[in-house]
Amino acid sequence: MRKLPLLRLLQLGLRQLLRDARPGELRVLFSALLIAVTASSTIGHFSGRLNAAMLLRASEFLGADLVLRGTAPAEAGQIAAGQQLGLTHARTVEFASVVATDSGVQLTSVKAVDENYPLRGQLRSAARLYGAEEPGGRPAPGEVWAEARLLVALNLQLGDLIEIGRQPLRLTRVLTYEPDRGGDFYSLTPHVLINLTDLEATGVVQPGSRVRYRELWRGEPARLADYRDAVKPTLAAHQRLQDAHDGNRQLGNALDRAARYLNLASLAAVLLAGVAVALSAARFAQRRYDFSAMLRCLGLSRRETLLLFGVQLLILGLLASLAGALLGWLAQLGLFHLLAGLLPGEIPASGLQPALVGMATGLVALSGFALPPLAALGQVPPLRVLRRDLLPPPLATWLIYVIALLALGLIMWWLSLDLLLTLALLGGGLIAALLLGGLWLLALRGLRRLLADAGLTWRLGLGQLLRHPLAAAGQSLAFGLILLAMALVVLLRSELLDDWQQQLPAQAPNHFALNILPDERESFAARIAELSPRPATLYPVIHGRLVSINGAPAAAEVERESRVRRDLNLTWSTHLPADNQVVAGHWWDALPAGHGPAVSVEAELAKSLGVKPGDRLGFDIGGQPLEAQVSSLRSVNWDNFQPNFFMIFEPQSLAGLPATYLTSFYLPPGSERPLVELARAFPTVTLLQVDAVLAQLRDILAQVSLAVEYVLLFVLAAGLVVLFAGLQATLDERIRQGALLRAIGANRQLLVRARRSEFAVLGAGSGLLAALGCEVVSALLYRLVFDLPWQPHPQLLLLPLVGALLIGAAGLYGTRRALNISPLAVLREA
Amino acid sequence: MSTSILNARNLSKVVSSAEGELTILDDLDLELAKGDSLAILGRSGSGKSTLLGLLAGLDQPSAGEVQLAGHALSRLDEDQRARVRAEHVGFVFQSFQLLDSLTALENVMLPLELDGRSDARQRASALLERVGLGQRTSHYPRQLSGGEQQRVAIARAFAGEPDILFADEPTGNLDSQTGERITELLFELNRERGTTLVLVTHDARLAGRCQRQLRLEAGRRVAMEA
Repeated sequence: MRKLPLLRLLQLGLRQLLRDARPGELRVLFSALLIAVTASSTIGHFSGRLNAAMLLRASEFLGADLVLRGTAPAEAGQIAAGQQLGLTHARTVEFASVVATDSGVQLTSVKAVDENYPLRGQLRSAARLYGAEEPGGRPAPGEVWAEARLLVALNLQLGDLIEIGRQPLRLTRVLTYEPDRGGDFYSLTPHVLINLTDLEATGVVQPGSRVRYRELWRGEPARLADYRDAVKPTLAAHQRLQDAHDGNRQLGNALDRAARYLNLASLAAVLLAGVAVALSAARFAQRRYDFSAMLRCLGLSRRETLLLFGVQLLILGLLASLAGALLGWLAQLGLFHLLAGLLPGEIPASGLQPALVGMATGLVALSGFALPPLAALGQVPPLRVLRRDLLPPPLATWLIYVIALLALGLIMWWLSLDLLLTLALLGGGLIAALLLGGLWLLALRGLRRLLADAGLTWRLGLGQLLRHPLAAAGQSLAFGLILLAMALVVLLRSELLDDWQQQLPAQAPNHFALNILPDERESFAARIAELSPRPATLYPVIHGRLVSINGAPAAAEVERESRVRRDLNLTWSTHLPADNQVVAGHWWDALPAGHGPAVSVEAELAKSLGVKPGDRLGFDIGGQPLEAQVSSLRSVNWDNFQPNFFMIFEPQSLAGLPATYLTSFYLPPGSERPLVELARAFPTVTLLQVDAVLAQLRDILAQVSLAVEYVLLFVLAAGLVVLFAGLQATLDERIRQGALLRAIGANRQLLVRARRSEFAVLGAGSGLLAALGCEVVSALLYRLVFDLPWQPHPQLLLLPLVGALLIGAAGLYGTRRALNISPLAVLREA
Repeated sequence: MSTSILNARNLSKVVSSAEGELTILDDLDLELAKGDSLAILGRSGSGKSTLLGLLAGLDQPSAGEVQLAGHALSRLDEDQRARVRAEHVGFVFQSFQLLDSLTALENVMLPLELDGRSDARQRASALLERVGLGQRTSHYPRQLSGGEQQRVAIARAFAGEPDILFADEPTGNLDSQTGERITELLFELNRERGTTLVLVTHDARLAGRCQRQLRLEAGRRVAMEA
């Protein structure tokens, strides 16, 4: 007996595919796949490039892509390793030094930089005090650039000679911006920049002096990762590696969330793709039952029949994937073209990965969701050629679906590299789907009883749904998933944007004032009230060191925990500051009468020190010992540009100790003059400007927000297209039934009404499923992935309405053919 | 008698339904020689189509045995039966069963292509010419009339040069005049190619053209005329 060689099978498959393609038979499946791959690869490209662009901006905060910092110079080997990998290197050395002139002395932070510094971003400086900023450059040997407040404090002029250590250097420019000042808001001292070649001559750097060395690196991400791996094992105890993510807390958080959001959006696109492919693959199979039976009649074995269809699907999948990958690439080019004016000029190109992921998405979704119906095709009894009512025996397809879901999960994981996100989305979706699908099935069954007394329109419309409750439940689940993915992306977008907005309100404090003396307190506050639209709260500050925990010396803990190694800013307060929350113990109200000194500790620090409420902490405050009992632990929002404190004391506890005050406040743009006057009126007060940092943060957040909006629009568009395509795949039987009804005399009006009621119920059901599912998934995502507080979203209750409208309109549009052409034509096709 | 191409012994088909077991075919014997033609007659539900399905190896009997072109069908699995069909059997159906997405020519080419014949196109064209559709090779089924569709189906059935052709109500969906012409065509081809013909029909005139007639009632043979 003959067997069909594989090559001929391939040939046949291809030929049959081409023949099927002509009359538009494959349109739905092909377009579903195309959309799937296009959406997934567009978003992949887009978010990949955007991530890179944002990271680039964020790298400015470090002045580099990666920084190796330590309190001693890096080993020669650690430098050589980076240079061998082709990374660009720069070095800075920072130390504190006193600058003395006739007008007084001022402690300054000195940074010595080499000729490559900075590797990301640019310095900005001015040729005169409060003059126009110019970007670029760095101090030449023999020069020093200083911040305006040093000039004000010491009454210096540009051109003066000042001594850094033993080396006289000429003050040539006013330093206005260092890209890598980002995280350092609280630095008390004015900054000056000198050239690294002058460092030795200053004689400041001696064994035992406190110096910070920073080795700056720039290069391709892969090389940087290699460097990280190479250097990590060689790190000394004093050394740390730092990149854009850990360089700045506010920015790191925002970037992480944005990246996760983009990830989520691409996962939503993958999910949409899966649903679309599942719907149209089922249709593809159904329409091939006859063909399959005929092939078997003509003598093809089950295996060969399956292979033939498998080959067809494979070719179709490959073609759609290639086309989709190409379209996706073009689409993201278009997106970036639209965004050109708003993004930094230098956007790194994304690699092949998004295209490959997109193609894999299409193929896995196709094989995963097309396999069960395809397997059914192999089971079509050949007797179907004589008896058309014979359908393939129902398969135990759940196993194949489980495999398909696993494959989808794998793709999502690969795409996001975020197992938690994938599990939350897929698992949440699955739980919601199973639970709600069951509920919906029950509801449909209940509906059947109600329907017995309903009018003809409703009976006709819903009859279709009720006749195949399982299919109807499947369909509304599919549409529900589409709506869910769309709703989720919308929901998270507003939460993220709101969160960022809150973090950086328009009048976020852009200045810090430190070292306000107690008798200047009221006059300073009054002056700020005149200058700023927002009143400033003044916090008392006492410097102290942590010396003991529960009576035992805390030397080991202090050595381990850098946050308590230097002097701590201790404060006292009657009220719990806004943005702080007590997470353990109680605020002062609950203290018993006649209690001793009490302190509230920031929760993360307490955890790191192993401190809990009831423990006793010993402090050394200017030589004076103080022991206080921990009464509560607080969580602190560090992102809010307000003064925050690790230790807050009960007001009586620090009574009689000498305190200064600090505050943060907002000055509108163009307040340089009043600021100089403020500095002159309160010469002991240290004023810090954080405008530049804020502007940079705001810039990046604006870009991120914009990107989020675009991705959102794209996902919504993809969702709509998928919805339409998916609906198309379910319409065959409805069109036929419509034609039949018209043939036996039903008028258009009745049919339109019947369809409308059917699709509206289907849409409302899907919307309800989506709303409930969205709450389940969002609760999981907020808690596990985005670290946002979750509240119910009543606005989701609009989803059933949205679903009814969308699916109603799409359904009527899709079945209009049955109303407009001759019923005979439709019936003859059947 | 020349060599037997189709041989059925004690053929029965019983299906279980909600009301209990239902006997559709009951202990039937049948033998056909090469080149014979047989008409199976009977009212709806008499078991005609069931018998055809069993004889063609599309379905399996509850008891008994069918020998088709020397193969005992009950000893073969479904895929092996498919091979027997591919090599020896052709089909014509009441509802034509043409594939909508293929042109007339492609429909006829299909069995030839499955067989890997390099001359599929020429042979299919020649067959379409033979059934009088030489001008309509590139038309799709829905562009053809019922009679034309059935001619395409007949051309397809003969394309594989089957030893035996099964036809299920081949004129059932056609008006009498068209049916007449289709009948004519079927018997002409049958004669030309020496094919054995088994057909199920209501049509007395069609049945009358066959050498033998098998009349069924409730699954039993009530008459065998030759």
